[in-house]
Amino acid sequence: MEILDIKNLTFTYRGTTAPTIKDVSFSLNAGEVLLLCGATGSGKSTLLRMLKRELTPLGKMQGSVVYKGKNIHIEEAPHLATKIGFVAQRPEGQIVTDKVWHELAFGLENMGVKKEVMARRIAEIANYFGIEKWFDRDVADLSGGEKQLLNLAAVMVMDPEVLILDEPTAQLDPIAASDFLATVRKLNADLSLSVIICEHRLEEIVPYADKLLAIDKGQVLAFDAPKAAFAKVRECEAIMKNMPAASLVYERLTAEYKDSINTGKYEVPFEIREGREFLQSGFTGPYTKIDEEAGSKKSVPVLKVTDLRFRYDRNEPDVLCGLNLSLYENEILCLLGGNGSGKTTALKAAAGLIKPYAGKVEVFGRKLASYKADSLYKNCLAMLPQDVQTILYADSVKDELLESGIEAGSLPYDISYLLDRHPYDLSGGEQQLVALAKVLAAGPKILLLDEPTKGLDALYKEKIVKIIKDLKAAGVSVLIVTHDVEFAAGVADRCLMFFRGDVVSGGTPREFFSGNTFYTTAASRLSRGLFENAVTVDDVVKLAGLNHVEKQKN
Amino acid sequence: MNRFEEYNPITVAVIYLCILGISMFFINPALQILSFLGAVSYDAVRRGKKRRGGYLWYLTLFLILTFVNPLVSHNGVTVLFFLNNNAITLESIMFGANSGIMILAAILWLRSFSDITTSDRLLYLTGRLSPKISLILSMAIRYVPLFRKQAKKIEDGGKAIGIYTKDSIPGNIKSKLRVFSAMVTWALENGIITADSMSARGYGLKRRTSFSVFKINKEDVAVLLAVCLLFAGVMYAVLRGGLDFSFYPRVTTGKNAALYITGCISYGLLVLSPALLEIWSNIRWKYLISKI
Repeated sequence: MEILDIKNLTFTYRGTTAPTIKDVSFSLNAGEVLLLCGATGSGKSTLLRMLKRELTPLGKMQGSVVYKGKNIHIEEAPHLATKIGFVAQRPEGQIVTDKVWHELAFGLENMGVKKEVMARRIAEIANYFGIEKWFDRDVADLSGGEKQLLNLAAVMVMDPEVLILDEPTAQLDPIAASDFLATVRKLNADLSLSVIICEHRLEEIVPYADKLLAIDKGQVLAFDAPKAAFAKVRECEAIMKNMPAASLVYERLTAEYKDSINTGKYEVPFEIREGREFLQSGFTGPYTKIDEEAGSKKSVPVLKVTDLRFRYDRNEPDVLCGLNLSLYENEILCLLGGNGSGKTTALKAAAGLIKPYAGKVEVFGRKLASYKADSLYKNCLAMLPQDVQTILYADSVKDELLESGIEAGSLPYDISYLLDRHPYDLSGGEQQLVALAKVLAAGPKILLLDEPTKGLDALYKEKIVKIIKDLKAAGVSVLIVTHDVEFAAGVADRCLMFFRGDVVSGGTPREFFSGNTFYTTAASRLSRGLFENAVTVDDVVKLAGLNHVEKQKN
Repeated sequence: MNRFEEYNPITVAVIYLCILGISMFFINPALQILSFLGAVSYDAVRRGKKRRGGYLWYLTLFLILTFVNPLVSHNGVTVLFFLNNNAITLESIMFGANSGIMILAAILWLRSFSDITTSDRLLYLTGRLSPKISLILSMAIRYVPLFRKQAKKIEDGGKAIGIYTKDSIPGNIKSKLRVFSAMVTWALENGIITADSMSARGYGLKRRTSFSVFKINKEDVAVLLAVCLLFAGVMYAVLRGGLDFSFYPRVTTGKNAALYITGCISYGLLVLSPALLEIWSNIRWKYLISKI
């Protein structure tokens, strides 16, 4: 049964002439999960917002959005506010009140529900989402993942039939993101809730989706079951890059060896399990190991952290427990680890933003304290914060650069096309590039990056990787704190695992990720046991290709 | 079983209103002293061993209030001495002491009230009056720490890229201004997201109701009845003139001793009720815990 029917939707923002959405038609059946994907700026968010009357932006609209036979943009029906639920990207901004229980009650209060009914609904939802334990807490004390789960619960308490999710996990770490998506899947399975979700992290959601809607420049590129849609999405590089590792390996191998592979035999694999079956069907053999280039000799550490101890309050436990860490000259070092393991705190301590109570930090052999005033942050060390909006102040990108005293032309990458835009109107990836420009303006020799790929799609991740590698070539040493294993595997010279306030193990990305079973890249999980140290899609394709050619020879 | 601070916010608010209202509107040293003793005893019972300092400060405040009054008010018939040709009278010193005690008691009561009234209790009270005001308060309460946190983030962010400087005064002012303007932009942006989230959940469509996690139970009703009774006792004494008192021109009191005693006992029980309820719950808890 169709629950949502979108016909010939066209939308032009007020003040612009080119339509953002062009003639989009699709439908959603009850109980289906529809995955919406598209490049940054392809109009995904605009499209999702038009499915909810209260959030529809200002502008000219043609076509219709019909929910259960009623056009939501025409019919006056207050109850529709509860029937279509919406959760957006930023967990913090969407929360309205100060207590968890009040947030759950907010929607019901708006609908004028009686107190006794509210009490029952809230109790039910709190149970289902496992929120009971933090029912009385202040929302300010919740982690990002908990906040987003609360946002979902606060929508679900109103008993919607369609749930619209606009990049709900973009600001979450991988573990919290998995939990969130698992909850969405559970809701879909338990309640037959219809879901429209827009995501960058396709690895987990593609295998589960019933339909895939790909849009490019505001137009429908494909609308079909994922495996059927995959063939049509092929041309759009920006979408392809986000696809699960298994499908990328399949795609590249079948493209390269199309004469010798019977493509009819295998459908495109999305899950790791399917991907392994595909690899085992003729891509295993004598080549199982990528030869590592001899690691560069360890030179002098430019940043050295010794026995560092820190806690936020006298009565709280240590966040950093005797941390030892060295960043060598001209090295890209990635610190990986779970949420709350103290990674960001370690970075702040290294940048001199917090004062540890024991241990020392040395930069170029000098103690932090010996850098008088702000000399540390001038042509020496600079840090990109996790939330880049905190370093964007001006009304346009041009002013941002002017303020920091750097010209767009002198940057190692191009942002000249953004100069006239307001920093807050940019996409997450574009904001990241502008913020990084401001950091580079300080002329750092040591660059500290806190989660530089948070909320970015694969295309922008690739850009960031290239920029960081270029900076390294120019002599900058880089310390990165990240959750993103795929990114770390692609960029790092050395990876360290952070656990309970200290570093527990480390090595080159190949040693590191091929040694891990859970905390590793999809490509590594895909090739576990088949290849020894393949950690990126490139690695897997290379080894599989060599084996395939070998087999053809025999 | 409730501790005093766990009674329904309405019960607690009614008790505080009665205590403070009587002590503020009726001039009688006996009432003020009772109110003060009640505040001190509740403070002592509630905090147990964890006392808060600052007694010297309270004493100083009391002395100042006591001795400033005779300097500005020269009413009264019992002249003690002259200062710069102005009469310092016993009555005005007594009046000063009376107001001093009243203000000290009020401060102590309000301090304990603010300690036990957490934000959700305050919202429950305001939600009864108007769900809208309650929502605005709830949002405001959330925004204060949120703003502080964001300001710190912006400051740190700027510092680590060398554009937040404390080196020179002009540089420092410029940096502070920059943080402020960044805060404004961020607040507006965040406000839009919040507004979207509100309207997406049907805000403004219908008349709001107000949810709360508090219930009125039998104990609340019993306490409220007792409080009303005591309040009526005091009011009866007041209206019949039993608690009449005036300082000027000379100290005069009401004539009816029975009424005076009724009033004092009623008010005394009223001001002691927070401490008594707290002790009562402690005793019951000790008894119940012995059974676990």
